[in-house]
Amino acid sequence: MIKLENVSKTYQTDKVQTLALKGIDLHIKKSEFVCIMGPSGCGKSTLLNMIGLLDRPGNGAIEIGGKPVQSYRDKHVAELRNNTFGFIFQSFHLINDLRVIDNVELPLLYRKMSGTERRRRARAALEKVGLGARMEHYPNQLSGGQQQRVAIARAMVGEPDVLLADEPTGNLDSKMGAEVMDILLQLNAEGTTVVMVSHDENEARRAHRIVRVFDGQLVA
Amino acid sequence: MLMNYLRTAWAVFQRRKLFTAINLLCIVLTLVVLLVVTALLQEAFYPTGVEHRSDRFLQVNMIEATNEKGSVMRRSPLGYKVIDKYLKDIPGVEVVGASAGPDEAHVYRSGGVTDIRLRHTDAGYWRIMDFKVMAGRVLDADDIDKGRLAAVLTRSTAIKLFGSIGALGEKVDLGGQVFEVVGVVDDALHVNAFSDMWVPITAYPSSEFRQQMSGNFTALLMARSPQDLPAVRQRVIEIAKTISFPDEPDFNIARMWADSKIDLLARSLTSSQELDPGSGKIVAGIAAFMLVFMLLPALNLVNLNIGRIMERSTEIGVRKAFGASNGQLAAQLVLENVLLCLAGGAIALLAARCILWWLEAAGPIRYLKVEMSPAVFGWGLLITLVFGVLSGVIPAWKMSRLDPVHALKGAA
Repeated sequence: MIKLENVSKTYQTDKVQTLALKGIDLHIKKSEFVCIMGPSGCGKSTLLNMIGLLDRPGNGAIEIGGKPVQSYRDKHVAELRNNTFGFIFQSFHLINDLRVIDNVELPLLYRKMSGTERRRRARAALEKVGLGARMEHYPNQLSGGQQQRVAIARAMVGEPDVLLADEPTGNLDSKMGAEVMDILLQLNAEGTTVVMVSHDENEARRAHRIVRVFDGQLVA
Repeated sequence: MLMNYLRTAWAVFQRRKLFTAINLLCIVLTLVVLLVVTALLQEAFYPTGVEHRSDRFLQVNMIEATNEKGSVMRRSPLGYKVIDKYLKDIPGVEVVGASAGPDEAHVYRSGGVTDIRLRHTDAGYWRIMDFKVMAGRVLDADDIDKGRLAAVLTRSTAIKLFGSIGALGEKVDLGGQVFEVVGVVDDALHVNAFSDMWVPITAYPSSEFRQQMSGNFTALLMARSPQDLPAVRQRVIEIAKTISFPDEPDFNIARMWADSKIDLLARSLTSSQELDPGSGKIVAGIAAFMLVFMLLPALNLVNLNIGRIMERSTEIGVRKAFGASNGQLAAQLVLENVLLCLAGGAIALLAARCILWWLEAAGPIRYLKVEMSPAVFGWGLLITLVFGVLSGVIPAWKMSRLDPVHALKGAA
C-alpha cells in the first residue's frame, strides 16, 4: 500500500541544518493499523507528513499503491491526497468560519460530485461519529472531543484508503481519547489503513504494529 | 463548492469588519471616479442623445491655409463658403449641416440683459441632430430660405427668459434683431448641440458670411451608413487640395479633415495634419490612465490581502491536505476578492449615479445629462472585475503555493 525506501529529510534554516529523517525504510500494508511512536522532536510527524505527501523527501523514494510519486506535479499530488488519504490533526484544524457540515464536506469539494451527494455523504459521516445533531453548529460551539470527531468525519467522508492521524488524542481527556480511538479502530476494522502518531503506549498497543522513531531513524 | 467558498468569504469579511470596510472604501472611491469618468467619456464620444447619429457623421471644423514656402499659416474654423462651395456634394453623404457658434449673445429685455449662447444653423443641421422637441418645432428649410427671424430655445433658456417652456410666439431681442420663438427643445450637452438658442444662418444681418473662407462654422457630414465614413474622410482631404483663396493671395494650399468626435479631440490636442490624428493613442492614453488609476489602489489592496490571507494559512494548509490544488486555492482566494470588489462595485455604481445626479443638478457643467446606460454598467462591471482580479491574483497565487506543513503550523 505505502512504501518508503531510504527516505531522508533535512530542514535548512539560515544557520542550522536539521536532519529530521534519515534512511527510513517502511512498508505499510493495506488495512494495517500502524502506530508511530517516539520522543518529541524525533521526526514522527515528519514521517507522517511524508507518508501523506504533505512534505517531499530530500532523498529516497515513496510509492503509493505501487506507484512512485516523486515526479508527481502539484495537481496529481493534490488528487492523490484527496482520493487516498484522510488527515486527523492533534489540534483538529477545523475551519471555524464554516459550519460543522461544511467542514466535513471539504474534501469532497475537490471531487466531481453533486452538492446533494456531498451533503448526503457528510451527513452520513457525521452520524457515524455520533454528531448527527450538530451539523449546523460551528466548531467553536463544540467540545474538544466533539471537534476531533468532526475532524474524523472530515477525514473519512471521502472514504480514503488511508487515515493519517497525528496524535489525535493528544488534546483530549482520557474518556474522549478513548472514544476517538474506538472510532479509529472501527474504521480500521472496516478495512481502512490507519497510520497514527502517538505518545501513549496503551493506545499503541491497540495497533497491529508499532514503529519507533529515534533521532530521525527507525529503531527496532 | 461555490456555496462553500461564498460562506467562507462571508465569514472572513464579517470577522474583519474594519479591514473589509477599508477595502470596500478603497474599491468604492476608485470605481466611483472611474465610473463617473467612463460615463462622461461615453456621453462625449458615443452616439447618444441628440448626437445618437454620430456613428455616421463626421465634423469638419477647421481649415488650414498656407503656401508652398510655409511662410504663413492660418488655422481657423470654416467659413460658410467652404461648406457651400466644396462640401455640399460628396458621394455617400446624405445630409450636410452647417452650424456657427456657439457665440456669446445678449438678450435685451425690460428687466435687463441676459447673456446666452447662440448658434446660426442651416436646415441640414436639424436633420442630423435629433433634439427632443418640448414645444413647437425646430427650424426648417423654409425658415432658412426666407431668412425668417425664427428662434429655437432650450428648455432652460425658455424658463429663464419667459418663466416656462410655453414660450412659443414670444419675442427675443438680440441687439435690435427681434426673433420669434418657434420651438423649445430639451437641454443638451454635446459638442455640436451645446447652445441656448438657435436661429437661421440667413438671419445674419449681412450676407457677407457666404463669401468667407474662414469663419466660425462647423460642417456636419452625415453619411448613409457608418461604412461610408472612411471614403468621406478621404474625399474631404482630396477636396481640400482643390480649394483656392481668390481673395487671399498669401494662401494657395488648404488642408481640412473630416473627423469623428474622438478624432476631433485628438486633432485639437495633437495638431496633426494626418488623416488619422492619433485618436488611437488618445484612447490608449485614457485606457493607460485608467489602468494606472486602478493599479495604485490595487497594489495597496494586494498588501492588505496578503496580510488577510496570511492569517488563514492554517485553513490553506487544511484545504491542501484534503486535496486542494494550488490552482483551486488561488481561484478560491481570487473569487473572494472579486466578490468583495463586486460588492464595492454595486455600491460604487449607486454612488456614481448619485454624483452624476449632483453634477446635473448643481450645474458645474451646464446642460450635463448623463445616463448610466447598460454600456456604462457593463464598463463598471468590467472595471470591477479587472480590479478584483488585479488585487487578488498576486496574493492568492503567493499563498496558494504555501508549503502545506508550514501552512498547517500557521507559519505563512
